[in-house]
Amino acid sequence: MGSQSQFCHVRGNRFLDAQHLTKTYRVGGETVYALRDVTWSALQGDFVVINGPSGSGKTTFLNLISVIDRPSSGEVFIEGEPTSAKSEGQLAHLRKTKIGLVFQSFNLIPVLSTEENVEYPLLLQKRPRPERAARVEAMLREVGLTDFARRRPNELSGGQRQRVAIARALVTGPMIVLADEPTANLDSKTGETVMDLMRRLNEEHCVTFIVVTHDPAVSRYARRRVRIHDGQLEEGEPDGVATPAS
Amino acid sequence: MDLKIAFRNVFRNRRRTALSLAVIVVGTAIFLLTLSFIGETLESSRTAVVCETGAVQVADPRLFEDRTKGYDYLISPALRDRTVAMVAERPGVTGTGWRLDFAGLVGTENGSTLLLARGVTTCSCVENYDCFAIEGGALPADDSRQVLLGRALAAKLGVRIGDSVNVATGTASGNFNAATVTVAGTLTYSTEAVEKQLGLFSVQFAQRLLKTDGVARILIGLRDPETAEEFAAALERDFNESGIPLAVRTWRELSPSYTSLETFYTAFSGLAGVAVFVLVFFSVFEILTISFLERTREVGTVRAFGSSRGRVFRGFLLEGAAIGVLGAALGIAVGALVTVAFNAIGFTSTPPGGAVPLALRLSLSANIVLVPFLTVVFATLASSMYPAWKNSRLGVVQALQSV
Repeated sequence: MGSQSQFCHVRGNRFLDAQHLTKTYRVGGETVYALRDVTWSALQGDFVVINGPSGSGKTTFLNLISVIDRPSSGEVFIEGEPTSAKSEGQLAHLRKTKIGLVFQSFNLIPVLSTEENVEYPLLLQKRPRPERAARVEAMLREVGLTDFARRRPNELSGGQRQRVAIARALVTGPMIVLADEPTANLDSKTGETVMDLMRRLNEEHCVTFIVVTHDPAVSRYARRRVRIHDGQLEEGEPDGVATPAS
Repeated sequence: MDLKIAFRNVFRNRRRTALSLAVIVVGTAIFLLTLSFIGETLESSRTAVVCETGAVQVADPRLFEDRTKGYDYLISPALRDRTVAMVAERPGVTGTGWRLDFAGLVGTENGSTLLLARGVTTCSCVENYDCFAIEGGALPADDSRQVLLGRALAAKLGVRIGDSVNVATGTASGNFNAATVTVAGTLTYSTEAVEKQLGLFSVQFAQRLLKTDGVARILIGLRDPETAEEFAAALERDFNESGIPLAVRTWRELSPSYTSLETFYTAFSGLAGVAVFVLVFFSVFEILTISFLERTREVGTVRAFGSSRGRVFRGFLLEGAAIGVLGAALGIAVGALVTVAFNAIGFTSTPPGGAVPLALRLSLSANIVLVPFLTVVFATLASSMYPAWKNSRLGVVQALQSV
């Protein structure tokens, strides 16, 4: 993270474009629409909160824009490049270099320590050992987990685990971080701490955050608020932007 | 890091890993013990055969082909010396000796019985009489009238060491000859039927009794009996070039029973290997399938972070290999301990038709250790192949949704 600026000079550049995204599933011989002709774009430095009830298509949308899933029709552009024609390997490379992910259940690798979990994406990028060590150390300092570097996930609290997950998502210096219900498994106080952290990192590092949640408390962190209902997306006004606790 | 993850995953579910390791350890140890028993049996059989026949024998082709008339196959002293000189020039030879066998009667005043006699070179360094567990004195290296009788034959005749027996046979020219000889000692033989008829004389005495200066066979000792085929082929070429009318046979050719034994044990060890492979494959397959499937969400996570399918596949294979190597190493250690304990106890067994109990031993060698080790590691690796492949092929979303 050290190479990234403290201020977001490039805020406003269009980074991600979703054009006419539709995702359907076959259930019992019938076609079910999880997402219906969604067109949307994210700007660099955005902090977007996507709300919607369960089954509305939030996670499906997140999966499509994080290119871990392919749309039934439509196109996702990342930095202006279409992704539908890319191979599995090319999409994996895209995720490895440009996208960070935070999951509801943290999804840390249980056999790895905090620092090893954070180091893992850097290994995938084949970064040299000294660079990996420096980045991991800086990132753990950033999320306040330096003292927990050697602990395994089962020795951490829920909030600490989610902070590890955030550090892991950010350690490669991605353009965008996609978080799926990052506070769902946390109590409200810890959830607030995690959201404060994400918001601070957004402010300081100009990383785009797209947070999917059905927790109304999270919405107040939004710079942009989006609502998904029955597979359709509508842009809303932010509730009022919360500033990260210092 | 992949190796680290693989090793840590091995110990993640200790009970399951213990179960996998138990199967692998038992399979490896059983296979190791089977191979060490077979190895020792074949080695001791080979030693017994080689010390009785020499590594290579040279004789008139008619003797080997069993189409002799009387003693028409005997090798003259001149031909014997020429042959021995030629043999001595070849590398790897430890010594030469010769033999003159004959059949006849042996008896006392109380009765007589059939005698299968061997006239042997007593100090040839080729025939090793320790194989026959001699009781009493050894044979002198001259034509003095002494005999080593099979223990069963001595008992049948009611004679002891120092007693005299009469020996009668036909001479090389077809006449009758007889002599009274002293029992210098008794010997045991692997089969009782032979022990009841066997008598050993010095080759000089046999020549004197048969009234000939010829010998039936020239025995050649080799540093490594396993090189006998190569040695025999080269010697045969030399004979052809020099016009020596003798044939060459290796210890394997002279002992078809050893070849049968070797074929049987090779097939048996192959079957044991297949059985252990199947046992380990299916047991570990079941366990690894469950173990890998439990981690589907982790697969989804690392794939979401950009890990390739190949890397996920390799990770699971590494885990299989780690279990295999660990289990096989433990299995070898257990097998080696059992081998040492077994040999220390000193079990014996008398084979059917055998005259003396044989020591049952287990032996260890690099091959005996390597074959079970590799078999089990390969079986474990093979059993992890399918679940690893299946897990690595899952879609990222599908894997992430796994509970």
